[in-house]
Amino acid sequence: MAAGLKTVILLSFVLAVGFLLIILSCALWANWLPLLVALTFVLAPLPNALFAHCGADDFSSYGETSAPVDLGRFLTAVVVVTGFALPIVLAHSEVIRPAACAMSIIGGALVYGTIQAYAAAFRQDDEYE
Amino acid sequence: MSLPRSDYDPRRVCLNPFPDVNLGKHRRTIGIYLAGALFALANWTFLDAAILSAHAHPPYEDPQIPPPVHVTFADWIPGLCSLAGMLVVNLIDKDRIRGEDSGFSGDSGAVWRARLFLFIGFALMAGGLAGSISLLVLKYVLKDYAEQYTYYGYANVSQNVALMLSAIVLWIAQSAQSEYDYNLTL
Repeated sequence: MAAGLKTVILLSFVLAVGFLLIILSCALWANWLPLLVALTFVLAPLPNALFAHCGADDFSSYGETSAPVDLGRFLTAVVVVTGFALPIVLAHSEVIRPAACAMSIIGGALVYGTIQAYAAAFRQDDEYE
Repeated sequence: MSLPRSDYDPRRVCLNPFPDVNLGKHRRTIGIYLAGALFALANWTFLDAAILSAHAHPPYEDPQIPPPVHVTFADWIPGLCSLAGMLVVNLIDKDRIRGEDSGFSGDSGAVWRARLFLFIGFALMAGGLAGSISLLVLKYVLKDYAEQYTYYGYANVSQNVALMLSAIVLWIAQSAQSEYDYNLTL
């Protein structure tokens, strides 16, 4: 396997930095609403993971997908956009500071990127996508 | 009746104005992700206005008069209409609308009912859009509020536009390549 021990260590490091940024964005201003961003991004891969096994049996033609897979992708996109939009909306209505908004967005992107990169690196592949 | 392919259909007057975008096998996936993103963006635009309205305050140097207008339940109605319309449109089996040439839906009553529900869905979405525009004009523009408050109305309109775009993108993405010609000339 190409992805080895170094990848695991690097990814866990990035994940820790992401969570650190999010928690710092909450704790510095004693306003714990940006923690919702972490929750959102952790939940983001869940729909795809749940619905990935519903479609695409061996008899379906190449590139054809079924409705549950579509639903999973739709929900994924919704959750990811929610993760980015939530801090912006909160900062716009002056519930949190702009700095906290930026920090939680960067942290959330790191967390989500880590999850995606982990899934891509350690996929049990004999299935595309 | 099976329609001839639109390339050499002699009854056609106008050429197909849609560009032939070929994204390959990922076209459906990209379209669905895009539709989901548009959907979330639409709802967050409106929620932004609602949260902003709940936290609204005059500028600090001004005398503390309360804001003249808030986002009330009336502002929610167009978005709810669009949501219901999108739900109805996407619940319809797309093979039913095409009618007899799909083979297994011989019952013409089912086709008629499917088209009726499609009409209701699109009417709900268009009604939501029209409602949001009329809300913008009647509640915000005509009353000469400050720009801070007319933003609520503009957010409402963009919510409904984005919801409609999301439904259209989803519809196009979910119709497979072989049905592509038919759905664009519907």
